Amino acid sequence: MPLLTELTAAVAAGKRTDTVRLTQELLAAGLAPQTIVETGLVPGMAIVGDKFKRNEIFVPEMLVAARAMKEALKILEPLLALAGIKPKYTALIGTVQGDLHDIGKNLISMMWRGANFAVVDLGTNVSPEKYLAAAVEHKANIVGLSALLTTTMPAMKETVRILKAANLPDMKIMIGGAPITQAFADEIGADGYAADAGTAVDIARKLVGAAA
Amino acid sequence: MSATIIEPFRKKWRGPLTDRARFVRQLNRQPVDRCFNMEFGYWDDNFKLWPMFRDHGIMNNEDADRFLSFDRTAMVGSPWMHPGFPYEEISRTATTRIMRNGDGLIAEVPLDGHDTIPHYLEATVKTPEDWAKVKVERFDRRHPDRKPDLAAILRDHPADRDYPLGVWAGSMIGKIRDMLTVEGLAYAVYDYPEMVEDMVETSCLLLEDFLDAVLPQVKFDYAGGWEDICYKSGPLVSVDFFRDIVVPRYKRISTKLRAHGVDLWWIDCDGDVRPLIPHFLAGGVNTMFPWEVNGSGHPGESLDRWGPELRIMGGVDKMVLGRSRKDIRAWLQSLAPYVASGGFIPFCDHRCPPNVNPDDYLYYLDLKEELFGLRG
Repeated sequence: MPLLTELTAAVAAGKRTDTVRLTQELLAAGLAPQTIVETGLVPGMAIVGDKFKRNEIFVPEMLVAARAMKEALKILEPLLALAGIKPKYTALIGTVQGDLHDIGKNLISMMWRGANFAVVDLGTNVSPEKYLAAAVEHKANIVGLSALLTTTMPAMKETVRILKAANLPDMKIMIGGAPITQAFADEIGADGYAADAGTAVDIARKLVGAAA
Repeated sequence: MSATIIEPFRKKWRGPLTDRARFVRQLNRQPVDRCFNMEFGYWDDNFKLWPMFRDHGIMNNEDADRFLSFDRTAMVGSPWMHPGFPYEEISRTATTRIMRNGDGLIAEVPLDGHDTIPHYLEATVKTPEDWAKVKVERFDRRHPDRKPDLAAILRDHPADRDYPLGVWAGSMIGKIRDMLTVEGLAYAVYDYPEMVEDMVETSCLLLEDFLDAVLPQVKFDYAGGWEDICYKSGPLVSVDFFRDIVVPRYKRISTKLRAHGVDLWWIDCDGDVRPLIPHFLAGGVNTMFPWEVNGSGHPGESLDRWGPELRIMGGVDKMVLGRSRKDIRAWLQSLAPYVASGGFIPFCDHRCPPNVNPDDYLYYLDLKEELFGLRG
């Protein structure tokens, strides 16, 4: 099996030791870091996302796959930075004000990184003003809002209102979380709703106009 | 039960059967006088915000059950970590406190005490060495405090009681998740499978010891447990691990329960439980609770799919309760065939959140009685 194919399989299976070893071997063979990311690691996470959407795997498998990819990126990112190569799209993510949970947010963040988005994680309990300031600072293409509780859905609505009012060019808003539905996304004017971390990649790509 | 005197706000639903007979018969799909009337409860904020609770001094779910005259259930036992970790505040920010909880987990909670899920920062157990230490210090099967007080159980819950009494049977994996965190459990199953299996086995042994002590002495009507091992999009534990490691321990527990006539066993598990249902059923867990609709879908779909083997408690969509009376009526009407056929007890699919209008909630309770209460 060619090394790149092996790398893709290792990421998809969450084998972090193999993922690191194969990444190093591919670099030693002279492959460009960007090629390793785009044709080795990203397809591995795409397999994970597809299996997740088909209910063939669940959160634990997604977490170990994302951990494997993260280990490889630790090696590759400094090299990419040296070469001045950045992901084409930037996504912000955070849990809305009043809500401290972060599991769903972290999953989306991992999957977006796995799809080669630059991800800025704003953490939990994020105020609308903080979202807006970060969206401006990072020229975000996607702003992701997460909420676990029905009681924090009003904060999500307010954040969407403030972000929309700023009328930032090329910025799309995605929402998700346990109580969130497409109907609620439509009601508050969000651009996209993701039911799960696998779908979140598809929706984000669609919103920014990226090829799948 | 609390010693506080509670003046009931509503009348208990009429019906000739005892709560005990009704609960068991309804879940076993036998004829009943009317539906068992229960609710899972409310968030703490409801007690501050809803006038009917606030103005009558109702401060907790136990008091609310009596205030609203629901049918009674009771449960004994909860063998787990002993001694627990002392609760302590480690630090605080302008808006949050960093706490260590009784499971040893470090978590961030809001300073103003508003309802939310804690933000977990650090696990109690990260390596086999951590587990070895915690196991010796806090999971000693021979600790004298673990001996159940049988006299107290028999005194508090006499054999001729009119309400169903449950025996605790679980957790086998959820409390371990609590010690490891969600991410930690996923990594540990991959990195240290023997450690996680030993944690599951330890949980099972503690439960077996407890059941061996109480089952021959007390006639229980059901078993109940807690796992919370799913979220909106499915399990938080590897399904293979659940099937291969957790389910065999469920089978051991189920064998003990059935040997003493306890055939009903519910597990409290939020989120989308559907991928785990065949495994729960294989392990002897035959009732899912509280059946969160936004994760697991309409309860009727799964009752139809799995047939009489599966029972469901819950399944009233909390999101619907927050919409309109028309939506509430439509949802309850959609549940009517399943209430009628048995194996299903409807109530709000988790703690009812405070965004639900309290007048609409009372409408829901009235409508539930109209549709599922005693006829004639």
